[in-house]
Amino acid sequence: MADPSWSKHVADVLRRNDIHLFATVPDYIVSQVLEHLWADPACSVVTATREEEALGILSGAWLGGQRGALLMQNSGLGNCVNTLGSLNVASQLPVVLVISHRGDLGEFNPAQVPVGQATERILDALGIRHIMPRSVGDLETQADGLVKLGYTQSLPVAFVLPAELTGGKLG
Amino acid sequence: MDRATATRLLVGRLTSEVVVSNLGQATLDLQRLGDRPLNCYTFGSMGQCSSIGLGIALARPDVRVICLDGDGSLLMNLGSLCTIATLQPRNLALVIWDNEVHMTTGGQPTATAHRSSFAQMARGAGIEKVLEPRDETELGRVYDRILAEDGPFVVPVKVSRGRAEGRLDRDVVGYARRFRQALAGVPAGR
Repeated sequence: MADPSWSKHVADVLRRNDIHLFATVPDYIVSQVLEHLWADPACSVVTATREEEALGILSGAWLGGQRGALLMQNSGLGNCVNTLGSLNVASQLPVVLVISHRGDLGEFNPAQVPVGQATERILDALGIRHIMPRSVGDLETQADGLVKLGYTQSLPVAFVLPAELTGGKLG
Repeated sequence: MDRATATRLLVGRLTSEVVVSNLGQATLDLQRLGDRPLNCYTFGSMGQCSSIGLGIALARPDVRVICLDGDGSLLMNLGSLCTIATLQPRNLALVIWDNEVHMTTGGQPTATAHRSSFAQMARGAGIEKVLEPRDETELGRVYDRILAEDGPFVVPVKVSRGRAEGRLDRDVVGYARRFRQALAGVPAGR
């Protein structure tokens, strides 16, 4: 049973690491994190039309001196592949990716499964360090370290949020 | 109008503005005709020029940002027009070099060679300030306006076909770092 406080923990991890600009193409799961960010006057959330557009916006913001995070579903990671490689990795522009993991345990929609199963391998292929916390405790143990690593190496890093953490989407 | 002349007319008017250039021809023109630390060159991620410019404009609302995009590239990211229209950044101008072809890859026609119009798409997206200069005199006036007045602006410019002269310097990481440092050095204002 997922701890319903998971979404606030994710929002807090980002905010306490000086991330206050967010871009998103929402889904049911990351919207639970977005609720905390929308309610916070210190945070700005841009809803983009596609996830790679959101990456362009956050990359520009980094060049302008602001950290940013992209909240999306793993289908959005699929949309982002070239921009992650040819912009963020090639130019060393860090960004924090927060990816809800559809297409794995408990999935009801066959269309979600191929990219869901490929998610970690896509990140690995691009050399993007990622964690997949299965509980709030697991998230809190690793989260600050992951964000710090991203800005140390000036590259994207990713939180992949599995159904064990979030409760997933139940059809 | 040729793109190099149109680029020169802008470069001659710049002070502390940011210019973001599209990969390929626009970046090569800008490097050759007016290299400066506040130029943000792009080298890949086709389509992202306007989005990168929007992000800079959001992070630094006190600095004016001018994007030099291309028709083929913006056609890959038309949603960017909608996001710009939604957010209404006053400090952003999107200039589009529209030569109606994919010049870098050999001159294959784009949709604007046929029935599509950036001006109409921008208006449809909700951009109010859409300017279409038809010659160098009008373009000069448009530059004066986008460098002084609140935007956002979208400025489609029909330019002749032709490859930029010279060779790109592709120090991708170095130029990004130089730009970030230069912008950080522009004191917060307005």
